[in-house]
Amino acid sequence: MVDTVIALVVVLSLALLWIVAAVHKVRGFEVFAVVLADYRLIPARATRACAAAVLALELGLGTGLLLPAARSLALAGSALLLVTYAAAMAMNLYRGRRFIDCGCAGVAGHQPLSGWLVARNLLLAALALAAMLPVPARPLVWVDAITVAAAVGAAALLYATGNRLIANGPDLARLRA
Amino acid sequence: MSGALLASNVLLWILVLVMGGVILALVRQIGVLYERVAPAGALVVGSGPKAGEAAPEFTVSDLANHEHRVGGKRSDDLSTLLFFLSPTCPVCKTLLPALKSISREERKWLNVLLASDGARKEHEAFVAEYRLQQFPYMLSSELGLGYRVGRLPHAVLIDPDGIIRSTGLVNSREHLESLFEANERGVATLQEYMAAEQSREEEVA
Repeated sequence: MVDTVIALVVVLSLALLWIVAAVHKVRGFEVFAVVLADYRLIPARATRACAAAVLALELGLGTGLLLPAARSLALAGSALLLVTYAAAMAMNLYRGRRFIDCGCAGVAGHQPLSGWLVARNLLLAALALAAMLPVPARPLVWVDAITVAAAVGAAALLYATGNRLIANGPDLARLRA
Repeated sequence: MSGALLASNVLLWILVLVMGGVILALVRQIGVLYERVAPAGALVVGSGPKAGEAAPEFTVSDLANHEHRVGGKRSDDLSTLLFFLSPTCPVCKTLLPALKSISREERKWLNVLLASDGARKEHEAFVAEYRLQQFPYMLSSELGLGYRVGRLPHAVLIDPDGIIRSTGLVNSREHLESLFEANERGVATLQEYMAAEQSREEEVA
């Protein structure tokens, strides 16, 4: 049983994630194109077109999640895109191309691929799917606004913390070696 | 009763957010510590050799096992561009075409060396993928430490007498080219040029 507030927290957090991701990609479009090409999953000639398409998709999902009418579609799309990213990373991990930049830490970030990133994306996709479950209708009161705002803030902080921990992983491994 | 619960709930949320912020700050600090201890990609602020100083001397072998001397007076009268990069650095990759054309156009007076550190196999794959065979590619954490390389990509321009002409983080092709311009004007960066102008004015006054 998912309460409206919990579903709303997931939806708004995902919207925040996509919009932040898209803003990063707009600011560093050239770098993003290199990152995408490094994944070696699409023909080199199509790189820029694909980069633009990914960017548009992320923006579309981010805004779609904010529109009640488009919400279910955007949630399904979010889960699909997250699973696609996870698959792209898993493919390159399997090929041994662990050293390429994951492209998830923004333009300046150098974060190599890792299994944790695949797991992170799958977890986010599962959350997106869970938010699609039917929720019993109940009137929202003002306390819910506090809950939603604070929970989205806490989720963003935890997400940033988790990412930083994953990014620290290779440096720690290097120290231990 | 419900007033008490509400107050406790709001208070708890505030504490959760503050604690989330504290944990994030701690994890970032740990990351900075790791980066400082591990050489490439380190975040070292302004403590390395500066423009105008003698370049630290190293003898390093490249991936093809040829030895290269970095720093010190050179008999062939060539300047050296030492470019620190890493396969996990997308900005570095965007600069590779510029680096290739610079090394071609400026080869009469300039010798381009690439430097990084880490597992040899990854770097060999990187060299093959981006066709960097024309450059000596050195793996040495001492080199990165010696030049206090902070964020990547980092470039150091060394003149034939072994003096650093300019050094710093390079983010774009323009940035890379400005290194040469700074060299021609005899200052390390635009900021330094302004600072030098200012101190001269102060001396006069």
